[in-house]
Amino acid sequence: MATKKFKCKVCGYIHEGDKAPEKCPVCQAPASEFELVSGGGIDKNSNWYIILYSTVMVVIVAAILAVTAMSLQQRQNDNVLNEKKNAILKSLGAVDANGTPTENYDQYITAYAVNDKGETIEGVTADQALDMLFDLKGAITNKTYPVFRSADGRYVFPVTGQGLWDVIWGYVALEGDMNTVVGVVLDHKGETPGLGAEIATDKHQAQYVGKKIFEGTDFVSIKLKKGGAKPEDANFSHEVDAITGGTKTSDGVSAMLYDCLKNYIPYFEAVASENAAADTDANTAEEVSNEQNVENNE
Amino acid sequence: MSSVKNLKYLTGPLSANNPVIVQILGICSSLAVTVKLKPAIVMGLSVMVVTAFSNLVMSLLRKGIPSRIRIIVQLVVIAALVIIVDQFLKAYVYDVSKQLSVYVGLIITNCIIMGRVEAFALGNKPWASFLDGIGNGLGYSFILIIIAFIRELFGSGQLFGFQVIPESWYAANGGFYTNNGLMLLPPMALIIVGCIIWIHRSYNKDLQEK
Repeated sequence: MATKKFKCKVCGYIHEGDKAPEKCPVCQAPASEFELVSGGGIDKNSNWYIILYSTVMVVIVAAILAVTAMSLQQRQNDNVLNEKKNAILKSLGAVDANGTPTENYDQYITAYAVNDKGETIEGVTADQALDMLFDLKGAITNKTYPVFRSADGRYVFPVTGQGLWDVIWGYVALEGDMNTVVGVVLDHKGETPGLGAEIATDKHQAQYVGKKIFEGTDFVSIKLKKGGAKPEDANFSHEVDAITGGTKTSDGVSAMLYDCLKNYIPYFEAVASENAAADTDANTAEEVSNEQNVENNE
Repeated sequence: MSSVKNLKYLTGPLSANNPVIVQILGICSSLAVTVKLKPAIVMGLSVMVVTAFSNLVMSLLRKGIPSRIRIIVQLVVIAALVIIVDQFLKAYVYDVSKQLSVYVGLIITNCIIMGRVEAFALGNKPWASFLDGIGNGLGYSFILIIIAFIRELFGSGQLFGFQVIPESWYAANGGFYTNNGLMLLPPMALIIVGCIIWIHRSYNKDLQEK
């Protein structure tokens, strides 16, 4: 006669016999706590079975996840890239009320990179400049600074820094005079909602429009002023309101704008002298002047 | 197995055994993602996919799982499914995925899924478990959509991002109407859930506590 196996559901004790014992000898649980273990086969609670089971399961799950992630990677990167392109267009004001771009990025924007002497680096394609946005910190360390120029002669400079909790980043669009701000787009990874995260709102970003980053020939950047920027202040053209309750994030944004835009100073000067040269050229020989320079003169 | 019984698995969670308003599970995410209809629907669909397939997989595995590590196995299966859903959202509906942010990842901890796997899938056949998962996902989505409808309509005057309340009604344009800002905040979702439970129970006498 084959004996049946009964397992105590409370402690896992296995009883062999025709029926469940009245009491579990280990934990004193009543007979109702015993269940019939399907006879023969493998013991599902043996350590070997558990180790084998979990190993196989983990390998299978890992394989499935790896395949999914790899097959969707391209699309995900395209989405992220698209978002960056839209942010660049948004800083230039080339989006409608719903945030849909009104310009075609590829036709509207020329991307390239400059070095710490303000010279355009040869051989950096538009795609490579855009790729630098994925690791802007690394690009800055290598003294390669991406620049995005719009067809109407305005410029967008990417910036990145540290907020309170995590990285913050943004795009600063300047007029052709390399001084007046056209627009700013800021974003963050994990600032406090309702406080530091307010930097990503249109309301905060609207304040930057028309601000100046130079005082005379001195680079001053734009600061987020605690207590609010007031029109009667001497530095009003270089200040915006800081975020209430988000002092650390506000300081982070101020530092980010200063540290990142600072790298472009040689380039700002190069463009400014180029424009000045173009001015004189334009005055002496009218046919040299082009649309872009005319706009810069205005 | 009769089809009547199968149908019951599917429709039960819609009303009489609704996961949100009867079992009171998954409240956290229903507060967070219901400001607008679109993310609410995507969230509902994601939860439905995860409950259905985690129920199905667990039900298929139920005979081989060592009972000592069954919770871990459940977690691995659910987490893997959630990651797959998250990857798909990032690839195909990137803007919604950004709005849902951490809440997609938090589907793993959504009590509805673990609850259904533990309470139903481990003791039932795969097809019935799959239907139970779909039913519970539908019940969850159903409540999410009701809340999101109310919140988006009164909070921003829109449905699916389209302006529903005429612009000329607004106080800014010389009208009489202002959006209710409270609707956009999580506490209002909790109040709406409360109201839905109240209405639901007054129609279902057997659910009322004595």
